[in-house]
Amino acid sequence: APAAKMAALSGGALWRRGWLPALQFVRRGSKAVTRHWKAMHFQRQKLMAVTEYLAPRPAIPPRCLAPRRERAEEDNGYARLLRRQVEEVFRDNRMIAICQYNSMPGEDVVLMRHYLRKHNIEVKFVLNEIVRPVLSQSKYKNLLPLFVARNILLVSPETKVKEMLRVLKGVPQINLLGACIDNTILSRQGVENFAKLPSLEATQGQTVGALALLPSQTSSLLQRGSAHLTALLDQHIRQLQAGETGTPAEPTPAQSSGSH
Amino acid sequence: KKMASKISVGLRPVKSIVVRFCPFESNVESTRKFLGCINHKKIQATNRNCEVTADVRHDGSEPLVDVMFADGERLIMKGANLTTIEMLTALGSRCSAKELKEEQKSKKKSL
Repeated sequence: APAAKMAALSGGALWRRGWLPALQFVRRGSKAVTRHWKAMHFQRQKLMAVTEYLAPRPAIPPRCLAPRRERAEEDNGYARLLRRQVEEVFRDNRMIAICQYNSMPGEDVVLMRHYLRKHNIEVKFVLNEIVRPVLSQSKYKNLLPLFVARNILLVSPETKVKEMLRVLKGVPQINLLGACIDNTILSRQGVENFAKLPSLEATQGQTVGALALLPSQTSSLLQRGSAHLTALLDQHIRQLQAGETGTPAEPTPAQSSGSH
Repeated sequence: KKMASKISVGLRPVKSIVVRFCPFESNVESTRKFLGCINHKKIQATNRNCEVTADVRHDGSEPLVDVMFADGERLIMKGANLTTIEMLTALGSRCSAKELKEEQKSKKKSL
């Protein structure tokens, strides 16, 4: 009977008679919200089909326009901070050594840091993408090819190269690539040679000694002629005195002093 | 495309590896990454007796990887134009081939 009512009358007439739609449409016992997928009412299906989303199409397809260069910089504050730190490191420290870092067990890292800290050498882990732009703008352009794969920096305000080499020898997984000591770029060989040099005071003393050697000889060189003459005359006098007391004076000392 | 760190190499038939490169050159990237991967925990754990040495020079020579195997064979890889993955797979394939041979030999001996 309700189905007949639906078919015969329009929706408005039914509502005016106080007709409740609750369970009267349903004949087979399944509710509105089911656990299985229930087919939509046909009117609803039509409504959904008509109101489907259509994406707006641009007037000119994007492939006809010139490609837009997406600059991946973004320049977030963290990268800026890290770059500033790297610049500070390069400015403050006299010795900067660059080593390749192959993965090491954690305790070894801590031990190595400890030993290096005793000699006032700090270990810094750096990211290549941050260090590269800093270096390319500073005067250290020749250090650029070193920053590939994982690296660490050993920085120190003093140049204790011997101790550093000793510590690094005990750690096989860290390989020294190069160093910048007192604004001089050195390779590994250069670093080893630098370690073999005597200390600065000793070298300065050696230079001063070598330079002072020649002037110290100048005065004796200038006086050599007259000193030689004085010595010869003294010898002559002694021989004369010896000759007076002993045998008579010989003519040879007079001849030798005359030939000079 | 595999990640270089995912390739596992069993280093048991290897006696020593020498990696030589000149860090101021521009073609050393793959060799340096190869060295880094070789020193990983997992690969080092397969053979504790294998010595990995890094030779850092400054004479402009090209990057070189010299592998000495336990049965006297030698593998030299010139890394100037090779990628890390190629070097690792080459080494890995040779190592697994040698391990297979050893297993077969030991099976024959036990038989």
